[in-house]
Amino acid sequence: MGRLARIPGVAFLLVVLGILFGIFAGGFASLPNLLNIGIQSSTLLLLALPMTFIIMTEGLDLSMGAVLGLTGVVLASALVAGNTLIVAFAAALGVGLAFGIANGLLVVKLGLPPFVATLGTLGIAQGIALVMTGGESVAGIGPALPKLYATKWVGIPFSILVAALMYAAFHFLLYHTRFGNYVFAIGGNREALVLAGVPAGFFHVLVYALAGLMTGFAALLLTGRMNSGHPIAAMGMEFDAIAAVIVGGTERQRGNGWLPGTVLGVLAVGVLRNGLNVMAIQSSLQVASIGLLLIVALLIDSIRKRQL
Amino acid sequence: MTFGERLKFPFKGLVLLTAGVVLAACGETKNRETIALFTKNQTNPYFQTVRVAAQAAAKESNVDIINYIPTSNDSIPEQMNQIEDAITKRPSAVVFIPVDSKAMIPGVEKFNAAGIPVVNLIDRADGGQFVSFVGCDDYAVAMNTARYLFEKMNGKGNVIIIEGQGGSSNNQKRMAGFRKALEDFPNVKVLASQTGNFQRAMALQVTENLLQAHSQIDGILAANDAMALGVIQALDAANRKALVIGLNGTKEAIDAVKAGKLLATGDCDGFLQGCMGTMAAVRHLRNLPVPPEVVFPITVFDSTNYQGADAPYEQRMCPKWESIVKD
Amino acid sequence: MKYRLIGVALIVLALGLSSDAFATPSNLLNVLRQASLIFLSASGLTLVIVGAGLDLSVGANLGLSACFAAAAIKATGALSSGFAAGLACGIIVGLLNGLMVTKLRLPPFIATYGMLWMLYGVNYWYMKGDTIYGFPSSFRALGSGDLLDIPIPVYLMVIGLLAGGVFTRYTTLGHEVYAIGANAEAARLSGIPVSSRLILLYTLSGAMAGLAGVIYLARLNSAEAGIGTPLLLPAIAAVLIGGTSLFGGSGGLAGTMIGAIILTLVLNGMNLLGINSNWQPLVTGVIILFAALIDSVTRRHAELGA
Repeated sequence: MGRLARIPGVAFLLVVLGILFGIFAGGFASLPNLLNIGIQSSTLLLLALPMTFIIMTEGLDLSMGAVLGLTGVVLASALVAGNTLIVAFAAALGVGLAFGIANGLLVVKLGLPPFVATLGTLGIAQGIALVMTGGESVAGIGPALPKLYATKWVGIPFSILVAALMYAAFHFLLYHTRFGNYVFAIGGNREALVLAGVPAGFFHVLVYALAGLMTGFAALLLTGRMNSGHPIAAMGMEFDAIAAVIVGGTERQRGNGWLPGTVLGVLAVGVLRNGLNVMAIQSSLQVASIGLLLIVALLIDSIRKRQL
Repeated sequence: MTFGERLKFPFKGLVLLTAGVVLAACGETKNRETIALFTKNQTNPYFQTVRVAAQAAAKESNVDIINYIPTSNDSIPEQMNQIEDAITKRPSAVVFIPVDSKAMIPGVEKFNAAGIPVVNLIDRADGGQFVSFVGCDDYAVAMNTARYLFEKMNGKGNVIIIEGQGGSSNNQKRMAGFRKALEDFPNVKVLASQTGNFQRAMALQVTENLLQAHSQIDGILAANDAMALGVIQALDAANRKALVIGLNGTKEAIDAVKAGKLLATGDCDGFLQGCMGTMAAVRHLRNLPVPPEVVFPITVFDSTNYQGADAPYEQRMCPKWESIVKD
Repeated sequence: MKYRLIGVALIVLALGLSSDAFATPSNLLNVLRQASLIFLSASGLTLVIVGAGLDLSVGANLGLSACFAAAAIKATGALSSGFAAGLACGIIVGLLNGLMVTKLRLPPFIATYGMLWMLYGVNYWYMKGDTIYGFPSSFRALGSGDLLDIPIPVYLMVIGLLAGGVFTRYTTLGHEVYAIGANAEAARLSGIPVSSRLILLYTLSGAMAGLAGVIYLARLNSAEAGIGTPLLLPAIAAVLIGGTSLFGGSGGLAGTMIGAIILTLVLNGMNLLGINSNWQPLVTGVIILFAALIDSVTRRHAELGA
């Protein structure tokens, strides 16, 4: 029963929703639509993966949406200025990484509460993006990124490939490397790490740096999708990422994390939103359903826990 | 109870909920033409007017409207997702208000690639193929309304500007319109230009602050009606007077004009645009001629001419196409 | 506590030196009025966070309460019905949150975030894109009026502060809240009925959000579905900048007042100094970090000295 117990309630909901939409929502179960769900969820997954690590260390990163806006703008601006995609991408990664490291230092070295620290960097990132662009979107990014974004490999679109690859990378990191062990420990039993002589602080900062780095990757997807850089397009995405992580089974206390659950959380919301749109459900009902999904998912877990 | 039995309750509830939702949704008939209408958010009364108008036009033409509204106001990623989801349903036509004039271009191109005709409504998208552009020009509306204010100020005095959300393409255009109007009135001085993020409460707070800093303010330009209404609240509370203009022509703003609180609000008539946009889409489906552009005249609603606009929109009817579009 | 005031003092000093309009009684009262609104919306939330909980639904709750209050006043013509409706909405939402967290054992983040979405769904459906506006001046005075030259919301803030102070320092209930926040298990073992106390806290958070909604309605003279959306982050920021920890067991309403004042001072300063709109989020972010840093540094200082 151990393995089965690990699977969060949201998995069950995902299956139920998939079946119900498949039956009642015309066109839902078609391959193009399923691929759409993947594409629509990929940017969020790139944010939710490092967010899982952060939440396991009992932290939060509220700045991800704003930093994604900034890295998107950096990517787009670099392309408009004539740089190659590689160079522009490197610039975006660099900016994202810088913010990630800044967050990490604020939380770990200066001891600021993660909520406040990342709320501060949120404003700074948003401000820089607005100043850089004068509050306008950055268009005219040339053909290189759209071409990359449109590529498919055995029919699988680029963004899904990136998301899948990133998941594999994070899965490997968390479950098969020493770093992954440290991530568990920082949240669950930090003293043990320190006693063992491991520089816990360094790895703790690394967890936040990783989040910043991932916004650079996410910028590739978001800018590709909009064919432009937009300073505030991603605001608020971090809340959806946090919700997906928690619904997927990662708990804020005790350093308990389950990465596959994060994917399930992201997909469940993606499936719900897509299905509701395909069924043309009234917008206010859509809004309420999203809240209901989150609550029911964890309600199922609550009920199960009382049983076991 | 066993685990399985316990689990039945949320499961049952979910099935019942979904069944109920499906039954409600199944009210949509299958064989009529459907028009997908994309509006920006659920909270601005302006877009509700557009939706009601579209519904009225659709009823007359025997087509169905399916509304697509982002669950987070003005969200670019969400509107992009909804475009893809709408294509899955293959509407007969689309009436589209882009959340952003540039970022949504790839979305429009998706419609184009799927062979679904699109009418661009109200806010012009900077790319993509459209059957027609039906709407207005934010830049011109802002410029005309600002001009009106400056003329009422006799061409001189102090003004402050309450800006919209940084990053919004509407805001860019409106600010540009304000600036252009300012060029023609060199004796009008801008004391301050600060953002209210298109929100009433923030505009109120910012105006309160600016009233502290500047003792003589003759005019206030707000980039939308919600903010303009916040501005007049601040003026009221501080017992200060200034001529205030807003943009959008919402009912609440028109009422404020009636009451003498708001000098004017500029608009191209959201109801009319909603009607005409839908009718343009329907005409295209019926192979009737549709001009590439239907640009509406701008009305600056002030105390003299608000009478047409203050009728509750539920009672308004769409005009005949021919009365607006003269060949 | 006195260290936290250093941050405020520095900001006040900087603004006083750089802007003539800042240090006038009129502006300072203006700032206090604006800060009281943040304080009111964050007051119940503060206690929830002290109890190691979280309530992300305060903004949505505030907005929905304002809408119901507006509808009630329009329907009955009586101002008291507005209060009743707003408070009732706030209390019911808070109660539901409390039940979800205690009886259903849902993590507070998800319970209240899910509630946020459901409240907006109800709000959008109820308002149908319209606004409800135009209220009597006696009502509007609650938000925008003065009593003896001091803004009425400021009185409400002071009352809230005093009530909160008495509550946390002199009542058993108040002590229990801190105990629960510090260590819920230990509190339970020492006989504190943790569940019912938590339900009370969340209900209180909801009630204050409801009340704040009514005051916002008075101030704005209008209700629309989206009022609450931009109010959540400032509310939480005020609580946390004020020194209350998300882990629970410390902090309090005085801190929230300081946090609210700091946030209000930032916007006030930026408006008075005419700082370009595109720069404003950056300035706000820097000040938030600055305030948090001062808090962190002075706290370490105090711990080392003790």
